[in-house]
Amino acid sequence: MSPPASHRRRSRLLSWPLLFVAILAVHSLAVYLFTRGFLLTRTELDLHSSRDDLSPQADVSPGRASWPPASVDRLVIIVLDALRFDFVAPSTFFSEKQPWMDKLQVLQKLAADEKTSARIFKALADPPTTSLQRLKALTTGGLPTFIDVGNSFGAPAIVEDNIMHQLAKNGKRVVMMGDDTWIQLYPEHFNKSFPYPSFNVKDLDTVDNGVIEHLLPSLHKNDWDVLIAHFLGVDHAGHIFGVDSTPMIQKLEQYNQILEGVINTLRSLSKPGGTHENTLLLVMGDHGQTLNGDHGGGTAEEVETSLFAWSPRTPPDAVLSVLDDSSCNVDLHGEEICVSTMQQLDFAVTISALLGIPFPFGSIGRVNPELYALSTGTWVNQRMGTNACSQDDLEAWMGRYAEVLCVNCWQVKRYIDQYSATSVIGFPLEDLQHITDLYSRAQENWSASLITTCSSETGSQEKVEGKGSVLLQQIDAYNDFLQSFAKLARSAWTEFDLWSMGVGLLLMILSVIIQAFMLVNMNTISKSSDQKSSGSSIIPRFALAFAIVVIRAASFLSNSYILAEGRVANFLLATSCITSVWHSVLKGNISIENLVFLLLNIFTRFGIEVGMSKQLPAPTITKDHPVSAICKILGVNSCNILLELFPIISLAFVAYIMLKCLYRAICQRFLKYFLLCGTMVSYLSIAFHWASETTLFSHAGTVQEFGRSLAPRIVYAIGGLSLATSAFSRIFGPTVHLKMNKRIIILLALMLCSWSPTILILLGRQGPFVALICMAGAWCIVKLQQKHQRESELSVADPVSVIQWSLLAVCLFYLTGHWCTFDGLRYGAAFIGFDHFHIIRQGLLLSIDTFGVSHILPILSLPFIAIVWYSTTSKDNGLKDIILNNINKVLLMYGLITAITATLTIICVAIQRRHLMVWGLFAPKYVFDAIGLLLTDLLICLASIYYS
Amino acid sequence: MRAEFSQISALTAAAAHVLCFAGLAAAHALAGRGALVSDPALALRLVVVCEAPIVIAVFSYLRRDTQSCSFFKAVARGLIGLPVGAFLNAFGAIVLGAPVGIKYWIATIYWSLAMSLLTFVPAACVFGTSKIDWQNVLSHSIYFTPIDVENYMISAPCHGAVLGAWLGAWPMPLDWERPWQEWPICVTYGAVAGYLVGMSVSLVLIAVHKRRVRAKTD
Repeated sequence: MSPPASHRRRSRLLSWPLLFVAILAVHSLAVYLFTRGFLLTRTELDLHSSRDDLSPQADVSPGRASWPPASVDRLVIIVLDALRFDFVAPSTFFSEKQPWMDKLQVLQKLAADEKTSARIFKALADPPTTSLQRLKALTTGGLPTFIDVGNSFGAPAIVEDNIMHQLAKNGKRVVMMGDDTWIQLYPEHFNKSFPYPSFNVKDLDTVDNGVIEHLLPSLHKNDWDVLIAHFLGVDHAGHIFGVDSTPMIQKLEQYNQILEGVINTLRSLSKPGGTHENTLLLVMGDHGQTLNGDHGGGTAEEVETSLFAWSPRTPPDAVLSVLDDSSCNVDLHGEEICVSTMQQLDFAVTISALLGIPFPFGSIGRVNPELYALSTGTWVNQRMGTNACSQDDLEAWMGRYAEVLCVNCWQVKRYIDQYSATSVIGFPLEDLQHITDLYSRAQENWSASLITTCSSETGSQEKVEGKGSVLLQQIDAYNDFLQSFAKLARSAWTEFDLWSMGVGLLLMILSVIIQAFMLVNMNTISKSSDQKSSGSSIIPRFALAFAIVVIRAASFLSNSYILAEGRVANFLLATSCITSVWHSVLKGNISIENLVFLLLNIFTRFGIEVGMSKQLPAPTITKDHPVSAICKILGVNSCNILLELFPIISLAFVAYIMLKCLYRAICQRFLKYFLLCGTMVSYLSIAFHWASETTLFSHAGTVQEFGRSLAPRIVYAIGGLSLATSAFSRIFGPTVHLKMNKRIIILLALMLCSWSPTILILLGRQGPFVALICMAGAWCIVKLQQKHQRESELSVADPVSVIQWSLLAVCLFYLTGHWCTFDGLRYGAAFIGFDHFHIIRQGLLLSIDTFGVSHILPILSLPFIAIVWYSTTSKDNGLKDIILNNINKVLLMYGLITAITATLTIICVAIQRRHLMVWGLFAPKYVFDAIGLLLTDLLICLASIYYS
Repeated sequence: MRAEFSQISALTAAAAHVLCFAGLAAAHALAGRGALVSDPALALRLVVVCEAPIVIAVFSYLRRDTQSCSFFKAVARGLIGLPVGAFLNAFGAIVLGAPVGIKYWIATIYWSLAMSLLTFVPAACVFGTSKIDWQNVLSHSIYFTPIDVENYMISAPCHGAVLGAWLGAWPMPLDWERPWQEWPICVTYGAVAGYLVGMSVSLVLIAVHKRRVRAKTD
């Protein structure tokens, strides 16, 4: 009888870690698939174009060997944030006239009256349609994604090549006024700037009034070449009141007046010899908005914005044959008005071509022919050019445009080659091959057409005609190349791969179902084996735990609850505590742990509030939090001393508790003294480290140096050493003669001792306080679990304890001042003990700091709630089985809880993928949850191997 | 033994509930429409002022041990129970995350007094310090096993108010920017709604119970 039983046990012992490894594998696959579909990534190249890129030997093009010359002297860009297309285009273009249409009359009138020099464009932006991403796209000519690899965290300044950089490098003077996002993106590129804060959405006027104040005076000045004025009123009015509202209409009417003033000023100064003789005015939106004022996603309303271009000097009438006349309509006054369509992607390169600066390195746009033709300079220069052949205006212009496109193609091709060579995730090979073919065909074509250019005498009409068609062919070939590449880039950088996302999600849901099924199955098995078990007492606890998990998981469907996740977790934890108090009162045996746990909840709650207050930018919120209130009473000086002393005192307390527990738990002599010494040295080092940083007393330089850098390293070293020792003693330790409980506790103590000092020092001054909360929480949960075991006489794992454990872990994450965005990472922690950046070392420290107290410690100490304290079976062998079974069951439950919440996050992210906050809130939350899930699975695997 | 006590008729119970409801309605009428949103402290104070005499009087009249305990003793129990219940409610709310700034504490005090009137005071008046009765009040088993009328009358509205207040806290973190999302407005709404639901549930339960008892005696 006994050999098969032991054999079965051994096989089951082996199968547990295998099961967890399988779960880890499935989750990794699911997360990988979903991430590939959802998080579009692009590598930023910090290469820059420069004036002399196009040297003759660079094998550029057989045609022109330099960037196109400037055709515009000065440029006025007026950005109206969130300018919908129907704000600008006449209402006759739409099926129904709405109250917000036809408010920018001055632009419509100009477009109708001066067909050759003014034009309304429908500009198509690419998602994500958030201001920062759009500004980046407008200036770099690329397609920014959520994760631009290489982006320096924190500082949003653009490192990629962009127009602003080129302008500054080529001696153009830029004036900026309005939205201060520009200053964040381009801190050093403006000659003069008048930034106004943009974060207060409720303020419709500050930015606009500031711009108005400076705009007209600046137009009269002569100290700039490019002027950028960014108005925010329409965006803010949309966010607060929606599009169909009085404030919005008032804003648009105000803009109409401003634009009228700008146009009149420019016109008056555009006489020959005037300062604006060769100026181009652009009035444009960075993105559209929905009727509710939201933007960020990819719906037609959000991506359709408008661009209005006008040059005071009229180009020749031949421009009309370049301009697209397919979508023309009669406006309100009965005049014909035409509208063209362009891609916002083309903006950067077109502007560069007009201003005569090198195209940004990463630009993948094409010089837009219509916008290019609207500038008179592109016609005039050619006529006076050295080109001997006398051609008519149109042909000369086309020749010039073809040359510009040639350079444009060369620059895009250069980017493709560089990108494929250096990026993490490149383009599919066959697509690249296709693109390369198109390019080489276009270039061959160009060489062929060059032969006909001007080399022969101009004479016969027929020849000229032939040349015109050759040029057209050439332009088409270039367009073909540029458009195919833009399409490829769009599919790689802006479109979600729904198929991949769906498969990932499905896999995740399947794995959760299988996990849950396994758990239920195991419970029924253990119940049938345990005859005495009273099923009635376990069912309500399962129901409670399940309800809490479901509520918490469902809360991720709303962005507000994600923002308040810490508070939600604390609310649910408190709810579970109150239910357990209620349960005890009903039984009539309320115990001290219940009360302590309730009090602990109050502490975590305030801690979370303090931690979350760091997240909000407004400083007013921190004013009335408890710590500062206490400081006010005590006075600043004594408060500072208290704040310095409190961590060290509580550290001593933590150390005392740790040492005492260690002393009691471990019975092997060598291990015991090793651990006691190690812990003592670790804690002394931490105390020394903090003491060396205080300003309370002055230290000698060497002492300070030792405390600052050497002490943390000692802590890390001891941590690593004792981790190795614990693995060693797990493998070779003579643990067979020990009782199972004892053995588990020794292993636990080893684990905690090796991790806790490192995590403590990384957490900083708040560490000891957090550690006390951790210990008190764990003590309460374990005690309550013991009580429950004693009452029900059941030796199975208690789901409520597990869920409390996991909620406490979530609370601790927020309590320690983390939150789920990248600026929520505590970068300072990575540099404790080190001054220089090393990606692996600092990354490791940062991840230990981020996940230490919320993932590593809780999961590794999970066996605490699996230990059977009151056993009905006296036989040690049976007990051992039960305990091992329990540990694995608890681990499985914990994994299931994490997997359920992560699945709901994934579902939520998939639903909200076009939501306004998707890149600001949902995507970072997804990244944190996905990493947390994989880490949890990994730790569960390790724990299951280590403790079995 | 139990049967002796359950002399309260369904009609008396209904009348008691109607009186309590009238207290709330009077407070609402006095405060005026929307007063809870514009000035929660004032509205809650009115609730306490109107509801306290009614609740204490009604439930002292319905006290469990009529012989050994005079009406005034029951009133005194209610008056002591009011702050004790308020403390427990406030403690629970703070554990669950109610804000504690200086801005809020007056509203919190009135809210917890009102909650105490809806939950704690009736039981204090009726049962005094009898442990077993208190456990019965708190227990969820009353819904499955028939006990007596007072238990239904006290427990169901009390449970309703607590659950309602708990559910009422849910909209608070949402970003709708409505004034009623402030503490303690929506929690109060939830509690009152839960209380009313609890009252109707208790009336239904009492009616069912009476019919069952009558059927048994027949």
